[in-house]
Amino acid sequence: MRQTILLGLEQAYSNLVHMIADFLPRFLVMLIIIVLGLVVAFVLKYILRAVLGLTKLDRVSEEAGASRLLRIAHLPSMTVLLSRSIFWVTWFGFILVGLSVLGVAGLQGQISRLLQFLPEVFVAILILFLGLMTANFLSRTALLAAVNAGYPSPRILSWSIRFVIWILAISMTLEELGVARQTVISAFSIIFGALMLALAIAFGFGGQDLARKSLERYLGNTKKEKDKEPQPL
Amino acid sequence: MPPPFGDHVVGSFRILQFESEVSRALAEDTFLTDDLLRQLMGVGEVDLLVGIYSHSNTSTTSHTLRAIERSFQQHFTRQRAVIVNTCGGDKDEGNAAAAGLSNVAEKNVRLAESASLRTVHQVTGDFSAPPSAAMALRTILAAADLLRARACAVVSPATTNLTPDWIANLLRPICQENVDFVAPLYTRHKFQGLLARNLLYPMSRAIFGCRIRELYSDEWGFSGRLAAVCLSQDAWHEEPIWTRPEAWMAISALSSDFRYCQVFLGQKLQTTTGPGTDIVEVFRQTVGNLFWCLESHQSAWLDGERSEPGQTFGPDHELTSEASDLDRHRIFEMFRSGVTELEPILSSILDPETHAEIKSIVSLEESKFKFRSDLWVRTLYDFVASYHHAVINRDHLVQALVPLYRGVTFSFLVEHSDSSPAEMEAVSEGLCLEFERQKPYLREKWKAKVEVKS
Amino acid sequence: MARQTDNLWYKDAVIYQLHVRTFCDSNADGIGDFTGLTQRLDYLKDLGITAIWLLPFYPSPLRDDGYDITDYVSVHPSYGSLEDFQTFLTAAHNRGIRVIIEMVLNHTSDQHPWFKEARSSRENPKRDWYVWSQTDTRYEGVRIIFVDTETSNWAWDPVSKSYYWHRFFSHQPDLNFDNPAVLEALWEVMKFWLNLGVDGFRFDAIPYLVEREGTPCENLPETHAIIRDLRKRLDLAYPGRMLLAEANNWPVDIRAYFGDGDEFHAAFHFPLMPRMFMSVKLEDRKPIIDILEQTPEIPNNCQWCIFLRNHDELTLEMVNDIERDYMYDEYAVDTTMRINRGIRRRLAPMMDNDRRRIELLNGLLMSMPGTPIVYYGDEIGMGDNIYLGDRNGVRTPMQWNGETNAGFSTADPERLYSPVISNAVYGSQVINVDSQKRSEHSLLRWMKSLIRLRNSFQVFGRGSIRFLDPSNHRVLAYVRQFGEETVLVVNNLSSSAQAVELDVRRFKGYIPIEMFGRNLFPRLGDLPYLLTLGPYQFYWFQLRRI
Repeated sequence: MRQTILLGLEQAYSNLVHMIADFLPRFLVMLIIIVLGLVVAFVLKYILRAVLGLTKLDRVSEEAGASRLLRIAHLPSMTVLLSRSIFWVTWFGFILVGLSVLGVAGLQGQISRLLQFLPEVFVAILILFLGLMTANFLSRTALLAAVNAGYPSPRILSWSIRFVIWILAISMTLEELGVARQTVISAFSIIFGALMLALAIAFGFGGQDLARKSLERYLGNTKKEKDKEPQPL
Repeated sequence: MPPPFGDHVVGSFRILQFESEVSRALAEDTFLTDDLLRQLMGVGEVDLLVGIYSHSNTSTTSHTLRAIERSFQQHFTRQRAVIVNTCGGDKDEGNAAAAGLSNVAEKNVRLAESASLRTVHQVTGDFSAPPSAAMALRTILAAADLLRARACAVVSPATTNLTPDWIANLLRPICQENVDFVAPLYTRHKFQGLLARNLLYPMSRAIFGCRIRELYSDEWGFSGRLAAVCLSQDAWHEEPIWTRPEAWMAISALSSDFRYCQVFLGQKLQTTTGPGTDIVEVFRQTVGNLFWCLESHQSAWLDGERSEPGQTFGPDHELTSEASDLDRHRIFEMFRSGVTELEPILSSILDPETHAEIKSIVSLEESKFKFRSDLWVRTLYDFVASYHHAVINRDHLVQALVPLYRGVTFSFLVEHSDSSPAEMEAVSEGLCLEFERQKPYLREKWKAKVEVKS
Repeated sequence: MARQTDNLWYKDAVIYQLHVRTFCDSNADGIGDFTGLTQRLDYLKDLGITAIWLLPFYPSPLRDDGYDITDYVSVHPSYGSLEDFQTFLTAAHNRGIRVIIEMVLNHTSDQHPWFKEARSSRENPKRDWYVWSQTDTRYEGVRIIFVDTETSNWAWDPVSKSYYWHRFFSHQPDLNFDNPAVLEALWEVMKFWLNLGVDGFRFDAIPYLVEREGTPCENLPETHAIIRDLRKRLDLAYPGRMLLAEANNWPVDIRAYFGDGDEFHAAFHFPLMPRMFMSVKLEDRKPIIDILEQTPEIPNNCQWCIFLRNHDELTLEMVNDIERDYMYDEYAVDTTMRINRGIRRRLAPMMDNDRRRIELLNGLLMSMPGTPIVYYGDEIGMGDNIYLGDRNGVRTPMQWNGETNAGFSTADPERLYSPVISNAVYGSQVINVDSQKRSEHSLLRWMKSLIRLRNSFQVFGRGSIRFLDPSNHRVLAYVRQFGEETVLVVNNLSSSAQAVELDVRRFKGYIPIEMFGRNLFPRLGDLPYLLTLGPYQFYWFQLRRI
């Protein structure tokens, strides 16, 4: 019996040593890949930062209104953000590759699914970001136009436009991510359709006269209102 | 290409060296059609060139053509002349009066009375679509350069009372005084052209050191030298030039060593439709254009300090003061609501101190309201610096200035409702000096690093 | 093409204008004469001209270069005798050269026997042969023609103590055509010369024959009636002779002098002449086009006479003030050159002796519609002397050679009627017939070839003209057509080389043959025909369809 126990222990010890001997190289490779990835990520980050600095991306971003969004979200400037993003994306990619080298059962499948999901995440982030930027730009455009034209409640108009575009951007983002896709599409369609129907009813039936008078006033008064202001040139 | 100087300097500026690469520019660009070139070949060298050019391209050109032809006949009978029509008007319009005379006796009388020694050519641009203002002006400049025109003028069919004397007045200083840029002066109602009076003129005067009241006009004159230099610039594809290239041309002249002057033309009547009456569009075209010029010519003004009076032919200004029907209350309300509604935008543009002052005057009653000159100048310089640093979209930035301009306008209307033209001129001169006095402030803001504002 | 009847000879003519006094002196008295002229007819024949227009050679005190006549039916003794004239006339005809002489109907010299009689008393039968008045206020407002020397159209006659009417110099009283006897007397004069064999008359100062109150006293219907009368008599008794009108007026007014083909055969196109000079200076065809497009059609048997220069000043009456000022500034900067609203200079000095411009203007003269008149001496590029009085600067002796007196006379130089041009540019030692005859490429040789070429084609004298309208205004191009003859003329009015595209689609398929060298040019087609011309160059193309 003592021999059997000793044999069993010997066997177990031998298996463990073999497992470690088998796992350790892969672990070391994983570490090397991760460290290498870190270096590559740093290099890419600084190269990108230099290139974006030359293209004055921050200035363009300021003009487009994207920088403001970033500040609201307590994010750094566009150049820094992009360079940091490329750093993390690169390093994360290397980490995933390193993990896949470990050969852990089931892990590779998850990593593979994650890698497939990543592009959709990026697109979704991009859609959301562009949507927010567009909302910002168009709402400001509408605000300025309404203010300078003397329309009542310009901020309501501005916020309405911003809200609609936000809804659209968020819906598109969620759809891209595949989150409750059917629900999101249906909800958006209902809300948007209802809004349009309401406007149609308001102007088409309930507010015919008002609509007509508004139009007449707009078309008639525009010139008169212009005449009441001194010619600038 | 520095122009020659006479015994006296009419109006001189810091010299910038422009590299004249006209032939390279023309070879690279293909905006001159074969048909246009063929027409120019038929014209040959000219002494005078008058271009018809419109921002809206909707006006008819027949009355303009007649005025130009009569100007050549009355004032420049011996000079070789050409009309370049970029409005695409009826090529035969100008010949209609000369054609179809059936009575030989009438023809002989006309021959006896005609003062036209030479053929007056008309070249019509053959554009597949109505050209932009920049394309039209560029065509005129190219024609002037290819035909070696000595003196040129640009007129617009939007001016309905253009006279032959106006054209002569624009050309004569170039021919006789060796001037390179001739700006017009008009008889104005005292409340007309307030944008020029309160912003464009004093700002350009303070910054570029020149005194041109009508920087944005439909008529002006220029020499062949200046045409060649402007033609060789690379700025033709810049958006601010598309709609108001004449101001860029004027500032290009003013920021280098070209001589300029102003000539008095008279009262201007123009068509009441078009972008010239929409204040936002006017701001885009003029103020936006001026800001862009400040940006593109910063090396000319950032370290300079000069404001010399140029020569003026005729009265420097002429104001009429008949009653006008302006809705001051509406203007004030638009100012007040504009400043209030645009507060988030203005806060990202203006210096906090400036913004605070504006917010304080917004709260004043209409009867007590006054927009001080120093505050207005500071506001404008904040806008200019913000434009330079692109704190927000530049087009939005220019539009955001409109309500503030309305405030200044209201203040002006109230302050000068009973003022005489001389009193108004004194106040305007004071405003110009204020612009000049605060120029260091502008420089400081211009050169400062942008602070991130949430 | 077969020549038409001789009755239209003036349409094909090339007329040479000269004053017998200036041409050749045979008897060493310093004044040219008919014998000398006869001796030089071979030169004129060789030149190619087909008619001579003689300036007045009648007896005269010569206060207006012979236009103040004292005897209509004789020859001034300085120029010879009637027999000498007859000899000259016969010799000219033998060489195929016709002769046109002056007929001054409007006025006589105050030394004419008719006037001497008329002024002698108010009852004299010839009193009414002139226009008299007790005051100088009749016909008020009528313009004065010789503005430099006259202050009124009336002159006081101390003999008959009344005023007499004169449109020209005060020593040239106007004849009164309201008196039929005047017309009859002048018809007798005309018959005298016609019987001798002259081929035509140039009627001087024809617009001024008749006066009427309240009118400008020019171009009146009564004047035309007189002309028609004379023409009718001429056609009946002397067919084939021609009447040439000197009427310095606008084309529409000159047109009236052709009537319905029953007044003058020919008339000078005065307004065209200064405009040819103007066009060359302006380098713009506009002045020529304008005047010719406004020139009315004339009857088929009538003709315009065109010229560059003549014995008078280059008249600037038929231009407006601006054009006149321009001409003065460009061609007569020295005010000595100006007289009577005109310029008293010859062709070559006006062209700054630029051979190219001289050729261009002569090319225009020979190719434009009308009968060309060459002023004596212009074929060799003679100069002028603006310091001689009146218009005598353009009436200096003909320069035949580089010898004494330019070969004009063997008299002492001081005896010449006028000094010979002797400066370094136009002096007779430089500009003369002999030296140009010896040079292959002289102006004289060139003029001969030009005239010969013109004489070879009837299209120039009889053809229609249609202007082309190229976009290059410095090029004047036109097509002359007559029957089968079609000629395309292209002139570069500019001092620099020019390119021009001509719309010649109407002549698609024709072959241009350059007429001087007889070389073929590319066929005309649908596309614009591109030509390049050197400074002041011109082309004559015969268009042939083969």
